[in-house]
Amino acid sequence: MHYVIVGNGVAGITAAFTLRQRDRHARITVIGGESDYFFSRTALMYAYMDRLTLRDMEPFERKTYAQRSIALVRGWAVDLDAARRLLRLATGQELLYDKLLLATGSVPHRAPWPGLDAVREGLVHFVSLEHLAECERLTPSTRQAVVAGGGLIGLELVECLRHHGVEVDFLVRESWYWPVALAAEEGAMIAEHVRAHGVRIHCGHQVSAATADQAGRISAVTTAAGLRLPCQMLGVCIGVRPAVDWLRKVTTPPAIGRGVETGDSFQTSLPGVYAAGDCAEFVRPDGSRLLEQIWYSAKRQGEQAAAAMLGDAVAYRPPLFFNSAKFFDIEYTTVGDAAMLSRDGVRTFYHRLPGRNASIRMVERHGAVTGFNMLGSRWDHTLLERWIDERKPMDEAMRHLHLAQFDGEFGRARLDGARAAYFQNPPECRR
Amino acid sequence: MTKRGTAQRILHDVKNRGLTAWLLSAILTAFYLVLYFTGLLDAPARAIGLDGKWTLYGLLYTLAVACGGVWVSFKYRHNRYQILRTAVVVFIQSTFAFSIPQLLKFFQQPEYYFSYFWPLKLEYLTPSYIFALPLPYVLYSFVGSLLLAPLLALVFGKRWYCSWVCGCGGLANTFGEPWRHLSNKSGAAWKFEQLAIHTVLGVALALTALLFVSWGFGNGNPQLARAAAQFQFFYGLVVASLLSGVVGVGLYPLGGTRLWCRFFCPMAAMLGLVQKLGRFRIAVKKNMCISCGLCSKYCEMGIDVRAYAQAGTSFTRASCVGCGLCAEVCPRGVLRLENRGALVRIQGH
Ligand SMILES: Cc1cc2nc3c(=O)[nH]c(=O)nc-3n(C[C@H](O)[C@H](O)[C@H](O)COP(=O)(O)OP(=O)(O)OC[C@H]3O[C@@H](n4cnc5c(N)ncnc54)[C@H](O)[C@@H]3O)c2cc1C
Ligand code: SF4
Repeated sequence: MHYVIVGNGVAGITAAFTLRQRDRHARITVIGGESDYFFSRTALMYAYMDRLTLRDMEPFERKTYAQRSIALVRGWAVDLDAARRLLRLATGQELLYDKLLLATGSVPHRAPWPGLDAVREGLVHFVSLEHLAECERLTPSTRQAVVAGGGLIGLELVECLRHHGVEVDFLVRESWYWPVALAAEEGAMIAEHVRAHGVRIHCGHQVSAATADQAGRISAVTTAAGLRLPCQMLGVCIGVRPAVDWLRKVTTPPAIGRGVETGDSFQTSLPGVYAAGDCAEFVRPDGSRLLEQIWYSAKRQGEQAAAAMLGDAVAYRPPLFFNSAKFFDIEYTTVGDAAMLSRDGVRTFYHRLPGRNASIRMVERHGAVTGFNMLGSRWDHTLLERWIDERKPMDEAMRHLHLAQFDGEFGRARLDGARAAYFQNPPECRR
Repeated sequence: MTKRGTAQRILHDVKNRGLTAWLLSAILTAFYLVLYFTGLLDAPARAIGLDGKWTLYGLLYTLAVACGGVWVSFKYRHNRYQILRTAVVVFIQSTFAFSIPQLLKFFQQPEYYFSYFWPLKLEYLTPSYIFALPLPYVLYSFVGSLLLAPLLALVFGKRWYCSWVCGCGGLANTFGEPWRHLSNKSGAAWKFEQLAIHTVLGVALALTALLFVSWGFGNGNPQLARAAAQFQFFYGLVVASLLSGVVGVGLYPLGGTRLWCRFFCPMAAMLGLVQKLGRFRIAVKKNMCISCGLCSKYCEMGIDVRAYAQAGTSFTRASCVGCGLCAEVCPRGVLRLENRGALVRIQGH
């Protein structure tokens, strides 16, 4: 049995380890075009800020792969022939597989703005090692930068640029930072914090055009609202999409929507071919679609896809949503659904904790707590998850909230103020 | 990527085994060699009114801990564990490990360091030395070394000593802060650590036993007394001078700050074994790690914290000194130091 995995990211490597754990004799080959070894994409910003070397970003010692008899092949897959069970790399190398896993991850969305044709230098993304190298190459000759895109990766790039002393204008298209996850209050708190770090954040602004100088280096960005921002670097962080372009051109393309379409068992439309991680798009019998693009989901999917490849009956169901992030110094933990505040039957409680850049938010719908958005202090998400699963009322969650605190010793955030505010003035139900 | 500017480049160089790091390491090593094996430092010590090179060394050491402590407290000012721990370490160094022994000496008392215990300071259970002291010192030494230290380690982990009290740890976590990330994280280094540190512990135990035997029966047996004295001399030379001073501090800029604590300190070895049985652990929040590697990188003991974190398993490692930096640098709040007990309510474990 030969398992071939395209993509040495977290989904691909987790799958490879899981396969090896359960099948000691199979041949396992992992193909990666970007790097020789699996690295943590989430740590890209720490390499940029000199807190980690590229080697430090590798989650496993290099000898691990040989010890587990996992063959690593460097190269880009360019052709797939499902009839012959054959995969071809750009180097010309051909591999015959019994089962194939596509775990190719994401690529950044391209910027659609006019004027970019003339820009030959200064436009950067922040997703791959190649992007990191390009950012590092340009940083020394950059005094001002514009970062477009009010999401997580955009803010990480902003932090890196500030670290290197670059002046940054941060363009957020929406009326506050990251509205898909944060309510207005949280968005405002982050904006205030980001400003304190010397960033000019412009909410409600989006790029309308870019200008280049004679050498082709970007020189300014204009926003739809008429701001003109001189810059030598433009970071485009307007989201990612599955890395499936190459699959459209192969001998036997699988069904592709936004990503590689798979059923709940990770099987694509091609026999023996599976997909997992950022590049996989689940299509449910009821027609609903699911695209998960975070580290945790990629790891989970890699593990379960391997089980499916081993013949287990797998029906992938993502658990309750949770995520984490850090905005400069403010840590963020979210569990469940805490951003959709305008639906009927929703009660929400928001409280700014005293003495630090921290806040808590709880959301309840129809009498059961549905989500938490916590900023600036640490929380044990597993307990919060349990409360949501158990459909606890918000009052009870508030009473027990201290049990879910995960702050370090001596550094526990004080909740008495929040509790007093909650019970003196209980949040009202939205109708 | 290094920040712009010459100063930043030099800083990067000295923190990352560049030329300046080698230079600094050479200077530190030379200083220790001169200190231990020559009398050259006696003259400058007397010139500033001190009674000899060891007092001068104590003064310099305390200054390094205090200045480094101020810097570290500023750097981690948002983290109360770090602030408290640093304050305590600086306090202990400047009192119990420096000014109090000097005062004792001044009042013609024995120069006793209340912040050191056997087997780090082997003298404190060396019969010929300790039984020459007044009874309270003898009691303190026995109770402290054999009862108090292990008991506290059982409850709080070895950190109560290695990161809150000990001067070696104190220097590492203050003056040594810029080099903490240089520790070797490989599995091979871990193997060597287990071998080396337990060997030193074994030797320290054997030597202590021999010294007791020689103290008891040495009078009628001059050969035994001579062997014990020779053994003691070599231990002092290799372990106390070369490994703890020359290697331990001299190699800060090349091998990281806790070389001595991790590979050689018999006290750390003993408390580490106790810690494995005790309540201290690093709790890992399940499924929240993004495998970035900051925790491993900034672990001064070379523990591959990430390996545990990404697997979602809480753990206790014998070598962990509980400095708390992994929890501090983790951008996802995955880690927490804790003493398990009635109050702890970690789920899923
Ligand atoms: C800057 C940044 C920060 C992030 N931070 C977080 C975070 O804090 N938390 C979080 O949950 N998520 C975060 N993410 C998202 C997370 O990194 C991804 O969801 C995760 O890496 C997806 O894993 P994957 O294995 O599916 O794909 P990837 O990690 O993208 O790996 C796929 C690999 O396959 C390679 N590949 C693609 N096509 C081919 C081909 N044809 N042949 C050979 N190799 C190929 C790619 O080059 C890539 O190396 C971040 C992403 C970025 C870019
Ligand atoms: S620092 Fe935190 S997120 Fe990063 S590897 Fe360690 S535990 Fe995981």
